[in-house]
Amino acid sequence: MNSIFFLILRRLRAPLITLIVSYGIAVFGFTLMPGLDAEGRPWHMSIFEAFYVISYTATTIGFGEIPYAFSQDQRLWMTFSIYLTVISWFYAIGKIIALAQDPALRQAITVARFSRAVQGLHERFYIVCGYGETGSLLVGALDSKGIRVVTLDIDQERINELELQDYQAPVPGLCADAKLPDILLQAGIKHPQCGGIAALTNDDHVNLAVAVAVKLISPELPVLCRAEHTETAANMASFGTDNIINPYELFGEHLAMEIHSLGTYLLHEWLTGVPGTTLPSPTPPPVGNWIVCGYGRFGKAVVKNLELEGASIRIIEAQPELTGCENYILGSGTEARTLIEAGIENAVGIVAGTDNDINNLSIAMTALELKPDLFVVIRKNRRFNSPLFRQFNADITMQLSDIIAHECLAHLISPMLAQFLHLARSQSNAWANQLISRLVEVVGENVPETWGAYLNEERAPAVMSMFAQGKTVHLELLTKDPSNREKRLYIVPLLLIRGNQSMLLPELDTVLEADDRILFCGTQTARAAHPLLVLNQKVLTYVQEGVEVPDSLVWRWLVARRQKRA
Amino acid sequence: MNLEKVAFGFFIVLAMTLNFGFFIGDIGNPEYHHAYELYAAIVVNLIATVLKFGDRTQIGAIHLSTSLVADLQLIAAAVIWAAFGGEQMTTSTMVSIVSLSGGAFLANVTSVILLIIETIMLRR
Repeated sequence: MNSIFFLILRRLRAPLITLIVSYGIAVFGFTLMPGLDAEGRPWHMSIFEAFYVISYTATTIGFGEIPYAFSQDQRLWMTFSIYLTVISWFYAIGKIIALAQDPALRQAITVARFSRAVQGLHERFYIVCGYGETGSLLVGALDSKGIRVVTLDIDQERINELELQDYQAPVPGLCADAKLPDILLQAGIKHPQCGGIAALTNDDHVNLAVAVAVKLISPELPVLCRAEHTETAANMASFGTDNIINPYELFGEHLAMEIHSLGTYLLHEWLTGVPGTTLPSPTPPPVGNWIVCGYGRFGKAVVKNLELEGASIRIIEAQPELTGCENYILGSGTEARTLIEAGIENAVGIVAGTDNDINNLSIAMTALELKPDLFVVIRKNRRFNSPLFRQFNADITMQLSDIIAHECLAHLISPMLAQFLHLARSQSNAWANQLISRLVEVVGENVPETWGAYLNEERAPAVMSMFAQGKTVHLELLTKDPSNREKRLYIVPLLLIRGNQSMLLPELDTVLEADDRILFCGTQTARAAHPLLVLNQKVLTYVQEGVEVPDSLVWRWLVARRQKRA
Repeated sequence: MNLEKVAFGFFIVLAMTLNFGFFIGDIGNPEYHHAYELYAAIVVNLIATVLKFGDRTQIGAIHLSTSLVADLQLIAAAVIWAAFGGEQMTTSTMVSIVSLSGGAFLANVTSVILLIIETIMLRR
């Protein structure tokens, strides 16, 4: 803000000096001009009178000849003064208006306003670089979970879009290059409440630059990066970027997961979903002969994972020399001929994975004409094509931005959730199905809330004081309703981390220890009620023992007396 | 040599000398203090103030504040002159006008001292 003020002053130097000089000359001259007063005696204007006359003349107000009618000399000087001062005024006003429209000044004001908005955040917030399809999805999801977000984007139009969006909390956004460390500082990477940064621009270099800058300036801050090229991913990993998200790889993995353990996949989708949305129930992709159209980064990831699952694959590729593909059928896949050549008669599934939405739809539609019971996996590139894809209703529609946003949510909201999902992947499908049915029983069909509880002095003083009194605390205690101990909250503990150990789905009779970290999953109401339990000792004692602890000194004394008597 | 520096130094020193010229002389006697001298001092002081705009250094800030003090005192003196001066000018009115300009003179001296310090620190 300070710098803007100085910028204005500096720019206004010339017009102000012009104004002062022209006033100076005009006022001085007026006092020298001989005039006559009402009785016809010689009279000279005082400096103050001259200043008064010039003031109303220069601003074109024009009260007339005050206090006496002017002499010829005074009128002559007045004519000169009018041109001198009025022109200087217009020059000064023109400069001021031009300054207000100056792009540099506007940019400075926008940056200052953004920076102030970020400094004014007093709750945990995350920075999202890149407000494109992925970024806007992530911002929306974080916002709906009540988490504050700060965004950066290089494109002013996207920032305009952000300002038009109806979010619960204001989202400070700035049109700037996230590559510049200065901008990252303005966005709050050194802010004590900053919880992490997600670099989701569609340019790998920018994401890399963000990761490097953040790791140098605030090494503690978790960084999530989108990387579409394996070299960038490796580069990012080399200096400790916390999570690198390769959307293509991720989709490949998800596809494989869908084939071999649908339950785990569902669990994954469900826990990282936007709260309040319902869960779709997909059919698992079949194993057999697959046709993959488009062997780009997406196609490669799909092929790799399908092969791991034991499928045999024919690839259709239009530009094999570009993608480094061997063993292909030349063509785009939009014509029936190529599909027949690829052996669509014997295929169980087709992947339409080119980077052109219309081609993908065309491939899928042609393939279904030829073989109606085909399993269709289709890649959606642009969100504005959503209505077409919804109409088409493929078995799996893959959208990069969805995948990245899901993954980011898992990591940002709770690092424990990411850990849980990682552990869950190594469990059997039956385990996952069982867990899902248990979760549905407790929290319903909608996407539940997940949150972590840390048993330390700061986050859970009530539990800590229980420990200090030497009482044993079972996990069950933290699942009870703070307003009625007979009831249970709609809550399921998913994971307990103690030191290096982690327990999946800990039993309710587990004895808790200090510094345990627990991942809970439950309804929104349960999440809202839960802090009462861990923060308020009185509530916790009530839930544990069914006794209301007296608050005040007098009551405590009375209760102690009564106990003594009894 | 830098023309900007010349103009800067010129106006600051001129502001002080004009101010001094007005201030010097019997404090209660209007004959020693001419209105035009006060007028010139105000105009030059205002120009000096504007010239000091936009310098973000510490010394620049002090420069600007001394000038603002001088402006304030001189304009106060001019307002008193316009309001109570003229035909019915009394000794006490003149004394307050001149003492105000004396205060402004001190501020202008500070400003010139700062200018000298800045110049010495530059050493080139």
